[in-house]
Order: sequence, then C-alpha cells, then structure tokens
Amino acid sequence: MNRLRRKFLKAAAAGGAAYAFGRTADTVHAQMSGTGGFADYKALVCLFLFGGNDSWNMVVPTSTAEYNAYARSRGGGTASSLAIDRTALLPVTLQGQSAGDPTFGVHPSMSGTRELFSAGRLAVMANVGPLIRPTTKTQYQSAATLGHALPPQLFSHNDQQDQWHSLRGRAMLKSGWAGRVADVLNAQTGNQALSVNVSLAGQTYFHAGEIAKPYVMGANGPTAFTAFPTTGVGPSRRAAFESVLNGTLSSASNTVYERAYAGVQQRAVQFADRLSNAIASSYSFTALPNTGNLSALQQQLRTVAKIISMRHNLGLSRQIFFVSAGGFDQHDDLVADQPGLLANISASIRAFHDAINEIGMGENVTLFTHSDFGRTLTSNGDGSDHAWGGIQLVAGGAVRGGRFYGTYPVLETGGAWDVGGGRIIPTTSADQFAATLASWFGVPDQDLAKVAPSINNFSARNLGFMV
Amino acid sequence: MMAVLSACGGGGGGGSGNTSPAASSAPSAPPISKVEAFRFLNQTTFGATEAEAARLIALGDSNTAYTRWFDAQIGLEASLLLPAVEAAYPNPVPANFNIGSLNAVRLERWFANALTGQDQLRQRVAFALSEIFVVSQVGALQNLPNATADFHDMLARNALGNFRKLLEDVTLHPAMGVYLSMLGNQRAVANTNLRPDENYAREMMQLFSIGLVQLNVDGSVKLDASGQPLPTYDQDAIEGFARVFTGWKWDCPSTLPTCTFANTRPQPAPGPGYNQVRPMRLYPEQHEPGSKEVLAYSGVALPNAIIPAGQGGDKDLQDALDNVFNHPNVGPFIGKQLIQKLVTSNPSAAYVQRVAEKFNNDGAGRRGNLEAVIKAVLLDSEARNPPAGVAASAAGKLKEPLLRLTQFWRAYDAKADSGRSGAAVNFTGGVNAVFGQAQGSSPSVFNFFSPFYAPPGEIADAGRVAPEMQLATEHLNTQIANFFWTQVQARTQAAGTRGADLMYINTADDMMTANDSEALINRVAERLLGSATLLSPTLKAQAKAQIERTVVPTTTSPTTALGTRTADAIFFVVTSPEFALQR
Repeated sequence: MNRLRRKFLKAAAAGGAAYAFGRTADTVHAQMSGTGGFADYKALVCLFLFGGNDSWNMVVPTSTAEYNAYARSRGGGTASSLAIDRTALLPVTLQGQSAGDPTFGVHPSMSGTRELFSAGRLAVMANVGPLIRPTTKTQYQSAATLGHALPPQLFSHNDQQDQWHSLRGRAMLKSGWAGRVADVLNAQTGNQALSVNVSLAGQTYFHAGEIAKPYVMGANGPTAFTAFPTTGVGPSRRAAFESVLNGTLSSASNTVYERAYAGVQQRAVQFADRLSNAIASSYSFTALPNTGNLSALQQQLRTVAKIISMRHNLGLSRQIFFVSAGGFDQHDDLVADQPGLLANISASIRAFHDAINEIGMGENVTLFTHSDFGRTLTSNGDGSDHAWGGIQLVAGGAVRGGRFYGTYPVLETGGAWDVGGGRIIPTTSADQFAATLASWFGVPDQDLAKVAPSINNFSARNLGFMV
Repeated sequence: MMAVLSACGGGGGGGSGNTSPAASSAPSAPPISKVEAFRFLNQTTFGATEAEAARLIALGDSNTAYTRWFDAQIGLEASLLLPAVEAAYPNPVPANFNIGSLNAVRLERWFANALTGQDQLRQRVAFALSEIFVVSQVGALQNLPNATADFHDMLARNALGNFRKLLEDVTLHPAMGVYLSMLGNQRAVANTNLRPDENYAREMMQLFSIGLVQLNVDGSVKLDASGQPLPTYDQDAIEGFARVFTGWKWDCPSTLPTCTFANTRPQPAPGPGYNQVRPMRLYPEQHEPGSKEVLAYSGVALPNAIIPAGQGGDKDLQDALDNVFNHPNVGPFIGKQLIQKLVTSNPSAAYVQRVAEKFNNDGAGRRGNLEAVIKAVLLDSEARNPPAGVAASAAGKLKEPLLRLTQFWRAYDAKADSGRSGAAVNFTGGVNAVFGQAQGSSPSVFNFFSPFYAPPGEIADAGRVAPEMQLATEHLNTQIANFFWTQVQARTQAAGTRGADLMYINTADDMMTANDSEALINRVAERLLGSATLLSPTLKAQAKAQIERTVVPTTTSPTTALGTRTADAIFFVVTSPEFALQR
C-alpha cells in the first residue's frame, strides 16, 4: 500500500490527533518570501458540472471517419439519436495540427468556448476520469481476477463526485485535493484574512483539509449579521455572541455536534462583515455587471471576480474557488435541454475570462471544469446514462490553450475504448489533471503526491497545459 | 386532539381507579421529567412544546407514557398535501397559467401540518422517508405539482405500514417515474444501440433499499480479505433491474384510442384522465421480454438470481421487488438511517442490530413492519437513555435547519393573521435560500445532505458522522441567524398593521418576565430547551449581560425596552449550539 495512504488511514484511526504534513525544510524555505507569503496572487476556480456532463457532444470530431463512428454510436438517423449534426458544429483548429489529422468542432451553443480556444486561452482535456493507475480495457474487464485496482463505484454519482473532489482511489480519505493544497501551502497562506478555499456552491469534500478550513458563502457573497449593527447595543451583542461560541469551543463537556456548529458560527461572524463590505465596494465589472439578468453560475463567478479584485484589501495571495452548475444528469430530454446547459457554461466561462482581464489578472486566474463522469455514447431513448471518461475544459491566460491534452478516443461502441454500453475508459487521470493545476498554483513537486495520491502511478506528473 | 388518559389522582402505575398495592398491575416507574419529554418530542415531532410535554408526562410514567403516546399517534389519519394543491387549481385554468406556482401551495400545507397537525409522528417519519426516497420539484417535476404532493402523501400513508408496500408504491408512483426516468422507459432496440434507462434501477438499490456495500446486521461494513468493502451489486444487476423497469408510463383509460405508450400524457388537473396521482400503468409491448439477472445473496428465492423470461411485466416487477426486499442489507441500511434521522447520528452497533432485527422479524414473523421498526428506534434504551461517559460526546445529533424552524414556531405558537402557515413571503428568496432545505425541493436525489458526511476535524478523525453539518455552512448559519433576528423583532407590530401572511411569534409570556434578566433567560430556556439547566454557564451569563444592557425606563413606557430584552433572550437561545443540538 502506498505510504501516503497508510499514513492517512493511520491518522484517521488515531482519534482526534492532529498531525503535521511533514514538509522538508528545503520546501518551506524555498517558498518563503520576504513577508512569509507568496509575492504574487494566483487563483484556481473549479467549475463543477453536477450530474455528469454529456461531454462527447461538447467537443465532437468532424473528420469523416471519426464523425461517422460518433454519429453511429449515438443513434444517428434514428428517433432516439443524440448526435449533433456535423454541419452545426463550430470548427476549431488545433495548434500544430497537420493535414490529415482528425478535425473537431464544438457544440453550436458554445461560441464563447470556441473563441477562447482560438485565442489560445482554453485547452481541452480530451478523455479524463478517475483512475488509480493506467488501465486498459482488458484490465478493466478482468480487474477482479487480475487484482487491478479501479476506483470503486464507478457510475455512481456521489461516489464519483467524491473521487473528483478527493482523488481518494480506494483509500478512505475524507479530505479533498483543494483542501490538501491549502494544507501544503499553509505556511504561506495560513494568515490570510479569508481561507484559501472558498465555496459558493455549498459544502463538499473538495475543500476539506486537515488544517485549512474552507469558507462557504452564497452565490452573491456572504451576508452580514443583521443582529449586529455597528450602533447601539449591536457591538456588545456581537461580543456576547462570540463569547458564547468561544465558550462552547473550549468546553469538553458538550457534544461534538455543538462544537462543530460553534466553529462554523464563529467563522461566519468573524468574516461576514469584512467580506460583505469589501464586496459591496468592489470593482464593477462590464463583463459580469452588477445589475442585469445573470445566471446562477454567472452570479457565482461575478462574486469570485469581485473577491479577486479585492485581494490587496483582504491580504490574499492564493485562493481556490468552488462554483457549480447543475442539471447535467441527462437521462431524459437531452436533445432539448443540452443546448441551454452548454450555452450557460460557455457564456459564463467567456464572461469570467473577460471580467478577470478587465482587472489585468488574466494570467493569474485559471478556471477548470470537473464533472461526476462522462456519459454513455449510446442513447436510452432520449438521453444518455452514467459512464466514465469525458472531456473537461481549462481556461485562463496562463493556459497553453488551443490544444487537446491526452488522447481523444475513437467514439465507437464496442471499440477499443468502450468498456460496455458506450462507456469510454479514460486515458488521462483526474490525479494528473489536479497535479498539473496544483503545480502551477505553487505546490512543489515533492508534495504533489499529498495532493494527488495516485500521481506516482502515472509517468506524466504534469500534463503541460499550464505555462 | 389526542385523548389524555384521566389522571387518577396523579401519574404512575396502571390506569385503574383503585391504587391499593394488591390491585396495582405493575410497579410504578418514575415519571418522565420535562427534559426527557422534550427529548422524546424532539425525536418524534416537529418540535417539543411545553404543552405537549405536559400532555406526555400526564399519560403515565417512563414505562407506559411513551408507548401510550405512540399508540395514540398510530391511530391518527395522515394529514395530506394533495387536497390543498387540488383546491388551489384555478377553474378554468387560464392560458398562460404557471403550474409550477402550485408547488408553493404544497410547501405551505407542509408547514401547516408540521406546526399544527395532530399526526406528528407519522409526519415526522414521512419527512425522514422523504429524505431517503427523494423526489423534488427541482427539475422534471416542476410542472407536476399534484404528483409531487401526492408522493409525499403516499409516504405518509406508508410511514407506519410495511416496507415492501412502500417500495412498490414508490416504484410505481409517477412522481418517482418522472424524477428517476422509469416512466416511459423503453425496451432495447439493438440496431440503434438503444438500451433501457438505468437511472431508477441504480438509485433504487443504492439509496432506497440496500446501499452500495454489504452490511452485517449491526450496520458494520463487510470486508473482503484485503480489507475492502464488498459491493452489493454490479453492473449486470443494474442492467437486469433496468430491463425489469421497462414499459411503464402514465395511466390512462384503455377505452381511449390515445391511450398508448407513445401518446399517453400527464393530465394537469383533477378531472377525466387525472393520472398524476395514479400508479403508472404497464404497456406490455414495451416491456423487455427476456430473462433478467437480479441480486444474488444467501437464501435468495429466485433460482440463480435470475427472473425467467416471458413472465410479463407485472410478475417481473413483483419478483424484482421481492428480490430486493429480502436482501439482508435492507434492515441495517434503512434501519440505521431511520435512527440517524430521528435519534442520533452515531448509534452503537448494538442499537442498529436491535432495530435491523426488528425489521427482519417484528416478533410475529413479518418482515418490513415499519410500525415495529419505528417503535424499536424510539423506545430503544439508547434512544431513551443517552449514552454516558466517553460516548456521551457523540450522543444525539444536530437538528436539521428546517426542524430548528418548526420547533421555534411551535414553541412560540407562531401564526400569521391570514391563517396561512409559512407562506413564501416569510423567506427572502424562499425557504430553501434561508434554511438550505425545503420539503420536496432537494437539489438532487441525494437529499440536502449525505448520511455519510463527516466534517473534517474531531468528528471525521473518530470515524463518526454528522450528516446535518453539511448544511451548517457559514452562509446558511448567517441566513438563519438573520431570519431569527427578524422573527424576534417583529412582535412589536400590532395585528392589522402588519403583513397578513407574515408569521409572528407570541412572546407575551416572556415579556412578562423581561424586567428580571434571570427570570427571562430561564423562561426562554424552559420554552426552547425544556429546562434552564441546559443553558451552558457561558450562554446564560452572556445572555443575561446582554439583556441587562437595555435599561427598562420607569418614567416612560417600558414596552419597547422589555421587547428588546425579550428579543435578545430569545435570539441568544435560538441561535445557540444548545438549541442546534437534538439531545
């Protein structure tokens, strides 16, 4: 068993003992700058598409043989077809492409994505998914007899969401890779006024760390406590409220539930005013305006952009934001619903990119997508079912865009990549994806395995899509 | 109103009029304390009140009162949601009517039942079941409000019945059919790669019956030789069940020529063809005819765990549901979740085992008797007597945010002048936006929080869970605190001058003690916690100090000051960790 996993399991059984991450002195020294933190600012933005995005319709082959395989697999020409018309796809040109190479287009609703790709600001992860080690179709089909380790409960929503969040493989980790990034970088970021990890889409394992705690806020940022106005008895009420919470946290005679609740309540009181004031007085973006009809996703991204614009005011150098969009579990009505879903992602990623460039932070902010899984090539009548490998996107000024990373599979049911029912086996792992992002973010190479526990099983620790 | 047994000169013993030692039936046990009554009522209702605690205490002693309360509750008819939705349908329905707006009617009726309905136990269990058998108005059911309302009523009718019937009613309910795509699921067509939809097959096993990993009867996970959990099912079983669940769609009268698999549609309003609230109907030509592999386990009835070919859909369905129902996982999987929803997040293995064994056999040879299971959950010694010593720190659970609200409103007799309960106007952005949850409004089939969630830190490190903590985020805690602050402020407006649908709490009793900070904080604690002894010393001292910062004038009207002092007292208790805890 991998040493890291054994350590995690041991610690989990130890019952409450905190334990250090054990970075070497060299690591710590290498990262310290004059003030003890990073000199620059970097942000990662994880856009989680909940439900399992039907991503083979997002980036589609357009060269004849490849398109025909795709269309055939997706029921083209029948009443239950999921295939996009070849003529409707928006063509993209890959950098370094030669004549005779397969060609591709993006879904007709994704013009923003196509523009970013053409400008070299967006990269396509061609076939990525949770893997513990590189896995062939034969190994998958004989996993039980070969003893080949696969992530458990493939095709189950919450298990695969956990896999993307935690990269836990078969270990029983209750932390996420973003949480562990914050733990590794705690020396440089531990004194930030706001946690490294900020979620605008609820509580998940993604940002759970051992030391670093996340902060969860609403799509439009945190709200202030109305019980604590700055006048009259408001300040004393607030002080009394905080004393009650301190009392709970320092008492051993109450329950774990009271202490956990009090911890969250305390962070809420401490951060709410400062953050909500900062956001209220922050820059007004053109690309994500304060007024107007923004989608829920765009509201989240607007708040992210506002916090980034206030990074000096809040003393921030490293942040990982978690935003989400839902509705991707398209077992039904895929043809009718997919265009709207993809239009929202594409327009939102484009608007966010533009907003970040309004404040000159294009090269400091990288947005990437995750999703439970890709979906079956085959149709169930009017939709697709849970599968495995799929396409993810990475966007930002520091991305070596206009390229595909990994191997785009032949989309053939029964073919070499299909492990059954049109489910494509990934050839790039979620660990490699995360490790590449973590590396850019400032995690040193020798700490990558803490972040992405299976990374040592893959020859390419860095996929090269960041400058 | 629940009948109260007439007290024959005081509680204790049997209910007979003569209490001479020779005639009394069983030795008297001690009476239930108010703290114990609050504990029980917070497990079994939408929130303990002093009045309900007094009624419970008067029913008997700690040996008899709980059972009597339980038996009286079982006899009560289910409060329903559907009639309110049906009554709200305009007649005739205007052309551009927003059908989805009727979901708000369902939500209000749910609040009314939670706050003032008599069948509290049944509704509380139905609420717990609604977080396991999840359907939601979010998504495909948005414009099918009758189906969503009736689904909840179906859960309420089955809550104290039999699990096998519950599973079948869930499977065939059109709300679930729409939500998890069994409705309209077609048989395979090989040359177009069309396969049956696997959504319901997968979630039925993962969430509604057996879960992902094999369990021992005490809820512990069975492990293989290398320490890995053993899965309960594989992809073959999913595909087998998916093929069973083919051919069902909206019910319609066979006499109609449009009553075909292709053409049958949902009918929006009560009237001819009202099929939103009728079980789905089998269209045999769309049912997969071949054999279907289902679950294999020790003692399985089907030879080789395969449903034979050519039986027809109705028989296939019965065989499939029997196959699931009899899997040994069901008792511990469902039993443990019921304990977690009602009593404690971290039951002992022995407690889970007692409940699971009651599921397996209620004592009269019946499997799946939910009335017996719920009784076992609530009357178990671990439910009535919380663990002491080291285990005490994990006793109980965090209240769900919605149950903090219902308890607060019940404790303070909250009402709106219009008589509407929990109207949407009370919540900026909707109840879901403030409390992070609302009945029948889950973001996905996985409910608002996972039964396996453990916040990082001492809970996760000890291998424990605290599912409701998934909703205790900085964001929601702030929203909820602000909501309660508005609620405790609002009592100053006179009836007739304030929003007719806004819920106002009744603080008249509290205000009468507000001159005396000690009396005030104790009164509020008695009302919300059941006893002032449950206030931590810090909470009591800080709340009193804050109360005293508002000076009560002697020469002008004291009402405003008394109101502010009362507001502070209630605010501090209702936002406290003590109140967030369900003991």
